[in-house]
Amino acid sequence: MSNFLLAWIVLIPLLSAVSLGLMYLYSIKISKISNIVFTTIGISAPFLSFFIGLSFFLQMIGNDEIFVYKAYTWLGVTGYDIDMGFMADKLSIFMVLFISFVGGLIHIYASGYMRDDKGYGKFFFYFNLFVASMLLLVLADSPIIMFIGWEGVGLCSYFLISYYYEDGANIEAGNKAFIANRVGDFGFIIGLITIFYYAGANGFDYINLEANIASVSPTILTFIGFSLFVGAIGKSAQIPLFVWLPDAMAGPTPVSALIHAATMVTAGVYMVARFHFLYDLIPNVGLFIAYIGAFSALFAAIIATKQTDIKKILAYSTMSQLGYMFIAVGLGGYSVGIFHVFTHAFFKALLFMGAGAVIVALHHEQNIFKMGGMKNKTPLVFFTMLIATLAITGIPPFAGFFSKDEILLTAFSSGQYILWIVGVVTAVLTAYYMFRMMFVVFFGKNYKEDRTIHFIPKSMTMPLVVLAIGSILAGLIGIPEVLGGHNIVGEWFVNWKHDSLHVTHNTELILMGVNILAAFIGIFIAYKKFYMYDMKEVPKFSGLVWNKFYIDEVYDTFIIQKIKQLSVFISYKIDINFIDKIVMGLSRSFIRTGQYVSRMQNANTRFYAFTMLVGISAISTYLIIVIR
Amino acid sequence: MADSILSYITLAMILFSIGFLGVISRKNIFIVYMSIELMLNSVNLIFVSMGRYYESIQPQVIALMIIAIAAAEAAVFLSLIVVMYRRKRTLNSDLFTSLSQKDSNE
Amino acid sequence: MIDIVFIVLAFFAVSGGLGMILFAQPIYSALSLILTILALAGIFALLSAPFLFMVQIILYAGAIITLLLFIIMFLNIRNDSLPEEPHKISTIVVGAILLIPFNLLILKSFNTLPSKPMHILGQDFGSISDFGMELFRGWLVPFELISMLLLAALVGAVVLARKDKIDG
Repeated sequence: MSNFLLAWIVLIPLLSAVSLGLMYLYSIKISKISNIVFTTIGISAPFLSFFIGLSFFLQMIGNDEIFVYKAYTWLGVTGYDIDMGFMADKLSIFMVLFISFVGGLIHIYASGYMRDDKGYGKFFFYFNLFVASMLLLVLADSPIIMFIGWEGVGLCSYFLISYYYEDGANIEAGNKAFIANRVGDFGFIIGLITIFYYAGANGFDYINLEANIASVSPTILTFIGFSLFVGAIGKSAQIPLFVWLPDAMAGPTPVSALIHAATMVTAGVYMVARFHFLYDLIPNVGLFIAYIGAFSALFAAIIATKQTDIKKILAYSTMSQLGYMFIAVGLGGYSVGIFHVFTHAFFKALLFMGAGAVIVALHHEQNIFKMGGMKNKTPLVFFTMLIATLAITGIPPFAGFFSKDEILLTAFSSGQYILWIVGVVTAVLTAYYMFRMMFVVFFGKNYKEDRTIHFIPKSMTMPLVVLAIGSILAGLIGIPEVLGGHNIVGEWFVNWKHDSLHVTHNTELILMGVNILAAFIGIFIAYKKFYMYDMKEVPKFSGLVWNKFYIDEVYDTFIIQKIKQLSVFISYKIDINFIDKIVMGLSRSFIRTGQYVSRMQNANTRFYAFTMLVGISAISTYLIIVIR
Repeated sequence: MADSILSYITLAMILFSIGFLGVISRKNIFIVYMSIELMLNSVNLIFVSMGRYYESIQPQVIALMIIAIAAAEAAVFLSLIVVMYRRKRTLNSDLFTSLSQKDSNE
Repeated sequence: MIDIVFIVLAFFAVSGGLGMILFAQPIYSALSLILTILALAGIFALLSAPFLFMVQIILYAGAIITLLLFIIMFLNIRNDSLPEEPHKISTIVVGAILLIPFNLLILKSFNTLPSKPMHILGQDFGSISDFGMELFRGWLVPFELISMLLLAALVGAVVLARKDKIDG
């Protein structure tokens, strides 16, 4: 029963979360438990999952084995069972590995970042719960179990964004995240129901669905694919459901690193890859996905060029990179998209953690124009963030270059030249805003020269180093053949590659050159504007881009106000006037009847005699008629 | 007409109805009392005619009992009227409600 | 001949009853009641109940109604202390209508009795000795109980009508 270990990948973080939660309640109600306990349990959980996942991974090298483990029957109707089942195939075990590894590093980082927080145990409870949900999401063997994990990560995201709950704005941000996710989840549920109805005859796990999917009509498949993607739009912050991601930066920085960079937001991409058997049959929906991805990427990059909050820049950058991933999976390049998920996890987590280190060093300052000259003050952070920035802009040999290059190659070779152009323009913008951030924060003179730097503990800097190494090396598993490497990632998922690329090697090399050129153009523009930025005053921004294209305001006017009006209408017009009238009217009529009848008890004997007469008369009439 | 029992019964029922009507329609307590007596009398008539019909004397004895009871009732009823008149200075039987639940439970 | 007597007596009885419930003054109603009682006494005589005929006149008309008249006059009722009765006639009419089914029911049931001649019986039927024999043989216990009842009524009447010490 080695497959039983599969359940432990999810179970260990879950049990750890539960015990942490109980210990936290104990520590605030009864007697204090020192942070070391929480740290040890909290950090060891994701790493244990990593090692178990590694053992499965090693068993899967070189063959096509799929491990399935059914823990118990969750819903049993006669003849049809839905089990709590776990399935490890190459895709899910790959996700498990980097989720647990990067997640574990972020846990270590969080133990330093949240050191002085009084809810330390609570934080790790939420964190481990999140890891458990995410692992459940990727290891699920059926869409509905995946949905449990899907909802679980949304819930933990809500908890963690609103972590500093004393400030009302953070609560609103958490609510916004949850509600936007919910809108997406609605589409997802519709998709689940439809696919269950049409293809779930033999069983509701992926293996059975894959077998049955070909018999469903294309219109229905399009509908299913579209609805499921709506869920991904919400979870992965694409247009139009992205509005929660910038606000989600209200949570502590480790939260942003784990959830909104490395793991939760990539759940949408994973979902499309997992449902590859469906999306292969409906390339139109795939194209739609790719276009949404492309325009989300461009849109987010434009907004990021004018942001001043360091975390918001990174948030929009995440949305932009997710757009790239969707371009890839939308066009059928599932391995390419997942490869970018993998590399993005490393450098984006690193970027967020580095930003968190800078924020802590400057006593919780988040406006980049109030920073500056940090190169000499925090050299380690500078160096690691530089590596991550080079990775994200796509400079070889860092990780992002290979994955981004493959995405643009997929777009080009599928004939989608518009998507390719959008991708290249976005790459220019990406380079521009990332280096703008780097130059403004780390170069030049400090905004306040005599500011003291807050100490950054080792627990925060060590993960930065590890992830920096990862950002360098992670790309190596995907070096394409044209450059002499074996495309390990591509071959790993070789079952699903939609189309093999039909471009010549020369074209590939030219496209690679175009990407590098685009990156350098962006860096150059940023250099010219920001290299030795003299921090005399904090610039004020205004205008369309600065206001994020007023999308939030549009949503508020057209959607939120309308819903509020509808609620007011229902609560006043319908509830009070209509329903209350009926219900209260009913009770009032009872009371009136009672009052009327009680007047018959008037202690007037003659009236009683009259009543008796009426009764006698009635009975006599009856008897006369009945008894002949 | 005097030969059939039905005429006596008819007369008794008419008198009974008149008595009953008196109870329910008059407020003056004396009239109410007299109507009750009239009803008792009509019942007496029925008893006696039954006695004659079956040629048994027992109903007549019963009738005598009824008259005795009416006498006892008269004594108590009329002394009660005297007491109530002294208290309330009215002969309206609708106002004699001190035994009822809502007027006596304060 | 007996028929005429019966009809006359019946007429007096009914008119007396009607007068009783229609007069406003209690004295007039009481006098109408006396008329009814005397008529009924006569009918008792027609029904071969001579003892009851005498008892009715002596007891009922002579004692009960006399007591009633005494109380009416004792209370010294003026015209304005009589209660107002606005709906007298309408209630009587409605009540009369409601009473019709009841009466019909009773008469229908009595109709089932086979008809027998109802002339006056002789042979001392209903005479005092006959009556006394029946009373003290079969109805002794009720007789004693009635005497106790009369005692209780006497005591009760005396106690009730006593003047209160407070407002004496």
